[in-house]
Amino acid sequence: MPNNIERPRRAQHIVAVGLLVAVFVLLARAVLYIPMHDTGVASSIQDNLQISGVLNPVTAVLLNFRGYDTLLEIAVLVLAIIGVLSLQREGMLASGRLAPFADPALSLLTRILVPMMILIAGYLLWAGEKAPGGAFQAGSILGAAGVLVTLSGHVRPGWLSPAIVKIIIAVGFVVFLVAAIIPMFFDKNLLEYPLHLAKPLIILIETWLTFSIGMILVTMFISSAAPITDDYVRGDAT
Amino acid sequence: MLDLIQPQLPAITLAVLLFAASAAFLVRFERARAIALVAAGVQVVLVSWITWIVVGQDRVWVYTIGGWGAPLGIDLTIDGVSAVMMLLTAVVGCVVTVYSAGYFPPKDSYRLFWSLWLFLWAALFALFASNDIFNLYVCLELLTISAVGLVAISGERAALFAGMRYILSALAGSLIYLFGVALVYASTGVLDFDLLATQVSIDPTTQAGLALMVIGLLLKTALFPMHFWLPPAHANAVAPVSAVLSALVVKGSFYIIFKLMHVFTGHEMIPGLAELMGILGVCAIIWGSVQAFTQKRLKMMVAYSTVAQIGYLFLLFPLVAAADDIQTAVLAASAGLFHAVSHGLAKGAMFLTAGTIVKAVGSDRLEDMAGLSRLAPIPAFTFAIAGVSMVGLPPSGGFVSKWLYVSSAIETGAWWWAGAVVVGGLLAALYIFKVIALFMGSGKEPLQVGVSNRVITIAPLVLALMSLVIGVFGQPILDLLYPAVESLTAGMMR
Repeated sequence: MPNNIERPRRAQHIVAVGLLVAVFVLLARAVLYIPMHDTGVASSIQDNLQISGVLNPVTAVLLNFRGYDTLLEIAVLVLAIIGVLSLQREGMLASGRLAPFADPALSLLTRILVPMMILIAGYLLWAGEKAPGGAFQAGSILGAAGVLVTLSGHVRPGWLSPAIVKIIIAVGFVVFLVAAIIPMFFDKNLLEYPLHLAKPLIILIETWLTFSIGMILVTMFISSAAPITDDYVRGDAT
Repeated sequence: MLDLIQPQLPAITLAVLLFAASAAFLVRFERARAIALVAAGVQVVLVSWITWIVVGQDRVWVYTIGGWGAPLGIDLTIDGVSAVMMLLTAVVGCVVTVYSAGYFPPKDSYRLFWSLWLFLWAALFALFASNDIFNLYVCLELLTISAVGLVAISGERAALFAGMRYILSALAGSLIYLFGVALVYASTGVLDFDLLATQVSIDPTTQAGLALMVIGLLLKTALFPMHFWLPPAHANAVAPVSAVLSALVVKGSFYIIFKLMHVFTGHEMIPGLAELMGILGVCAIIWGSVQAFTQKRLKMMVAYSTVAQIGYLFLLFPLVAAADDIQTAVLAASAGLFHAVSHGLAKGAMFLTAGTIVKAVGSDRLEDMAGLSRLAPIPAFTFAIAGVSMVGLPPSGGFVSKWLYVSSAIETGAWWWAGAVVVGGLLAALYIFKVIALFMGSGKEPLQVGVSNRVITIAPLVLALMSLVIGVFGQPILDLLYPAVESLTAGMMR
C-alpha cells in the first residue's frame, strides 16, 4: 500500500461536495416521486398466505414465495465462510481456540447466559412461523452464544472435529436444496411444496438453517482472529 | 423418463452445480477434483439439451419456481441470448475445469478452489436464467463472493491486495444496484422483467432507479474509468481464475445491463445514456490498448487487453439507439453479444495459455519469455491464435463481431463508431504482435523451459481453436441470438 498519499486539495473537496449535493438532489427528487398508493405485491401475499404453510408474511416470502432467493442467499453465506477458510492456515479450524480470558466473572456469566441464549434461539425459530423471527435471527443468537463460549476459553468438545464443523456449516444449505428438489420427483417445479407438506418442510429447513448459520458465524469469528502474516505464503502455483 | 426430466432441466442444471459445490467443500482435493470434472461434463450435456429445446421451440422458455409465477414468485426464463451465454459458460467452464485438474498441485491447500469454482459456475447459470431484478442481485452476490474467494486463493500478498480492492468495488457496485432495484420496485411494484416491460413509465423514480442499477453494473463490468480494480485482480489470480473472470464473470453484469437497457428502453428513459456508454467504451478500447502495450508482465498485458475488449461490448448501445429499423438494431445487438462469446473463448484461451507459459518459464515478465516459440511451440501458437481473434483478423470470432459492428454502424449512418472499431483493432494488433514477435525472437540467455504437462498445454489450444471455428461457423450462434434479440429490440423500438 502506498503510504505517501497526497492530501486532497481544496478544489477536490469542492468538486466532491458539489457531486454529493447533485446526487442527493437527484435521489431526493426520485424518492419524492414514489407513488403514494400501494404498488407492491403486499395484497397478493396476504391472499396467498393461507396456502403458504406459515402465517407470518415475512417467513412466507422468504421460505416459500421467494424461497429461491433465500436458497441462493444461504449459498452466499456458505461461500463467505469457504472464502474465509481458504485463507486460513491448515489446522486453524482444528485448534479453534483463542487465548482465553482467565476471568471467572466471564466464565460464570457464560454458564448462565448460554443456556438462555439457546432457549431464546429455539423460541425465535419456532415463533418465525407466525410472528417475527425465524432461522436468521435464531442462528445469530446461537452464533453469539458460540462466540461467548469461545471467548471465555471453554474447550471445544472432542466430537466437534473440523470435519463435523464443515458438515454443520453445509447442512442447512444441503437440506434446503434437497427440500427444493423433492417436488420435482412428483411432477412439480423446484420449490413447489405440496400444500400439506409446506409447513413441515419450512420448519425442517429453518431448523437446519439455524444450526448452519450459527456455526458459520462462530467459525467466521474464530477464523478472523488470526490474521495472515507476512511470513505466511501459500504454495507455488504461479 | 426423458419426458419427466425435460421440463425440469433449468432447475436440474442448477441443482447439479449446487450439489457438486457443496460436496466439493466437504472432501479432500482429489475427490473434489473428480466431482468438478464430472459436474463439468454433465453441465455441457444439460446446457446443450436446454439450447436444443430453446432452438426447437423457437420461443422463450419460462420456468416457474414454486409454481407461483411472477409477481409473487420468481420465474426463470431462457431465451436465445441466455442459451448462448450458458453455452459459452459451459464450454469455457469445462475447459477451465480440465485445465485446473492439470494445473494445481494435488495439495489440500487448494482443496477449496473446486467448491468456490463450482459455486461461481452455479452463480453464472442462475444469472443467465434469471428474469427478476432482485434475484439478479442475489446472483451477483453469489458471483462476487465466489470470484473474490478465487482471486485470493493463492494466499500471496499481491493476490490478497487485489482481492481486497476487488471486493470493495464489487460490493459497492452490488449495493448501488440494489438501491436502484428498491427505487424501481417502489415506483412499479414489480421485479420481473416481463412485467416491468409493461409497467415502466418515465418518471424520476424509475429514471434514478435505472441509472443506479446501470452504474452499479458498470462498476462490476469494469467499463472505463471504473476498470481500476480489474487489472490487478485478473493478473494476480491463478491462471484458471483469471480466465474465468475475464471470459465469463464480467459478461454476467454486462448481460444484465443489456437486458435492462432493452426492458426499460434505456435510451428513451435516460437520454444520452446509450451514447455515454458508447463513448466510455471507445475510451476503454484506447486506454486499455495503450496500457496493454506498455505492460512489462504478460498477465498484466492480457488483463489490460480485457479492459479494452470490454469497451467493444458497450458500442452496441449507441448503435441500437441510433438504428431506424429493427433489422439494423438486431444487427448491432448481435454484434455486441457475438463479441461477448468470441472474446470469452479467445480471452479464456489467452489467460490459460499465459498460465502455462508462466509456469514453464517460471516468471511473469515478458523479457524472460523471448524465444519461447522454439522451446514451447504449442503455448506460443495458442497465444497467437487467441491474439488473432483479439485483433479481429479473419477467420476468427473477433472478426465476425467487428464486421457486424462496422456494417451496423454504416447502416445507421453513425460511421464514427466503425472508426473506433477499426482503430481498436489496430491498437490490439500492436500489443499482440509485440508479444508474438518476442516469442519468435531470441532471448539474451538460453531459455529454460520445463513444460509441465500435456493437459495445461492442450486445453487452452482447444479453446483458442474454438474462437477460430466460430469465426467460420458462427451462423448457428447468430441464428440462436436472432429471435431473442429481435423480440427484445422490438419492445425497445416501439
